[in-house]
Amino acid sequence: MADRKTERLMNLIFALLVSRQYLSKEQIRQTISDYRESASQAAFERMFERDKEELRELGIVVEMGSNDKYFDDEVGYRIPRDEAELPDLALTREEAAVLGLAAQVWEHAGLAGASTSALVKLKAAGIDVDPDVLRMAEPKLSADEPCFDVMWDAATRRIPVAFTYQRPGHESSRRHVQPWGIISWHDRWYLGGYDLDREAPRIFRLSRVVSDVETTGAAGSYEVPDDLDMTKVAAALFPAEPDRVAVLRVKSGRGQALRRMASAVHPAGDDHDELEVPFASAWDLASEVVAYGPDVVVVAPDDVREQVVARLREAVGSSS
Amino acid sequence: MSRSGSQVQRMLALVPYLQGHDGIPVRDVAEEFGVTPKQIRDDLRLLMYTGVGEYAGELIDFDLGALEEDGVVYIRDAEFMPRPLRLNSSEGVALIVALRALRASASGAQLPIIDSALAKLETAVGEQVDAPVDVHLEDVDAALQTTLVHALQSGQRVRIVYGTASRDDRTERDVDPRRLFTENGRLYLEAWCLKAEDLRFFRLDRIESAELTGESADDHDAEPRDLASAFFTVGDDTPYAVLDLEPRAHWLTEYYPVQDVERRGDLLRVRMFGGDWSWLRRLVLRNAGSVHVVEPASLADEVRDHARLALGAYDEQ
Repeated sequence: MADRKTERLMNLIFALLVSRQYLSKEQIRQTISDYRESASQAAFERMFERDKEELRELGIVVEMGSNDKYFDDEVGYRIPRDEAELPDLALTREEAAVLGLAAQVWEHAGLAGASTSALVKLKAAGIDVDPDVLRMAEPKLSADEPCFDVMWDAATRRIPVAFTYQRPGHESSRRHVQPWGIISWHDRWYLGGYDLDREAPRIFRLSRVVSDVETTGAAGSYEVPDDLDMTKVAAALFPAEPDRVAVLRVKSGRGQALRRMASAVHPAGDDHDELEVPFASAWDLASEVVAYGPDVVVVAPDDVREQVVARLREAVGSSS
Repeated sequence: MSRSGSQVQRMLALVPYLQGHDGIPVRDVAEEFGVTPKQIRDDLRLLMYTGVGEYAGELIDFDLGALEEDGVVYIRDAEFMPRPLRLNSSEGVALIVALRALRASASGAQLPIIDSALAKLETAVGEQVDAPVDVHLEDVDAALQTTLVHALQSGQRVRIVYGTASRDDRTERDVDPRRLFTENGRLYLEAWCLKAEDLRFFRLDRIESAELTGESADDHDAEPRDLASAFFTVGDDTPYAVLDLEPRAHWLTEYYPVQDVERRGDLLRVRMFGGDWSWLRRLVLRNAGSVHVVEPASLADEVRDHARLALGAYDEQ
């Protein structure tokens, strides 16, 4: 029965927590009624082992040791109070408010639950959490990808995985990966790691994983590079630093996004401005320019200009 | 975690929490712990069977009269557990990553507060935590964001210049900021717009400039707007086009609302929805050569006309 087990675990924790000495198995058995009433010593030991494992999963560390190190005393158990108890964090009102805001970030059920239970521990320690002390941006993190939980676990515990990956416009393929980390970008999750098939670091968008995720090894069975910079592994996700400048002729009052990107704007007469726009990818800049139709014309450089003209010709031809 | 596991976690936090909140109503406890009042009552009933021994005084007790009659909690004989336990690693990781999200969306003087909260939080976690999780947001102008945060803190009206993408125009307006938040990984300002006389959402990367007006913001008694209705959702009268996507445009289906995806050889035929027709026109132009309009004919004509006009400008030169 669930209640009975909860009661037993609570009493076990309390007994181990208040005792200054290591408690022997026999002392523990006598203290807790379920143990005392178990049919045999073996049945008690099995139950006790399972319960200890359950405490470990809750993150409660049961220490084993002996009360007298000079004698071959029986091994006993305790939960060292000074290590188990939440220390005084000496949070300022503002830091406490930040933690209160942090507890509202997750929209993923499991992580929202973990955030709430973390926050109630802080409140139970007498920390006054008033998120209204600070006004700051309120970010949200959700995770709808079916494989999110498995990948999260794999990345945090270093478990190698295999899955089928489907990029739009490409054939699907089976991938074997040692996960290094997880990244959120534009509200979507990516896994970065070492791709064992490609023998190189790769980044995977979790929504493109189309199979169940298979774990292919034990936790901690590979190392993550010491000098790992996930931002570099995931560099392809982020806009590149501009290293060239284009000159664009833009109708007055039009091309808002280009104007925000521009490093200089000069009036060019005839109801037009000339914009200097830093860019990294000619392809991306050409896409942006074509979208504005006749309101934006590329003056320079030639490669961007040629791309725009080629694409406009396609637009004239292909939609007729 | 098993049901017993999460209940044990909660009960272990309840014991010190209730000692610090003598006489707290059950429903307040429930709200704080994110569970139902019935669940809290079940927890309390079970707690009375736990303690440091099995005799009276060793078991946790409650003022049952107060609990039954007034629905308030007075805990007794629980002094043996005055403090909660440390955070376990899943609690620690959840909050640490949430703080990174806060950090990615904050600016200026708030960054050091988040950093010190993060450092102190790490000492609260029992085990060594490994949180290989990064949260990135699109960069916004830090000075602009600092101005908006300052306006929020001090309750001031702000004058912004805002550019809209689909209509490609810019407007100046006075707004009373209510909050900053993220949606789709981007920062937005929710504010009362004096021009529209209504609540509006503004994408921060489209705010060209923001300056404090020195006037104080009014208290507008407006219902918070439903985000889903303000952001783009597909309804009965949402404009749509049927498009054929070449393989190098297949990625569009991951970013924009599409329906009725049909594979035709290499092509994907999709029904693509847009906030308005000019948005759809811009999308097709932007991907000219890899996106073809099947219907409506009016959109195909419009795309062609725009492209022809634009080409004309190159021929003149």
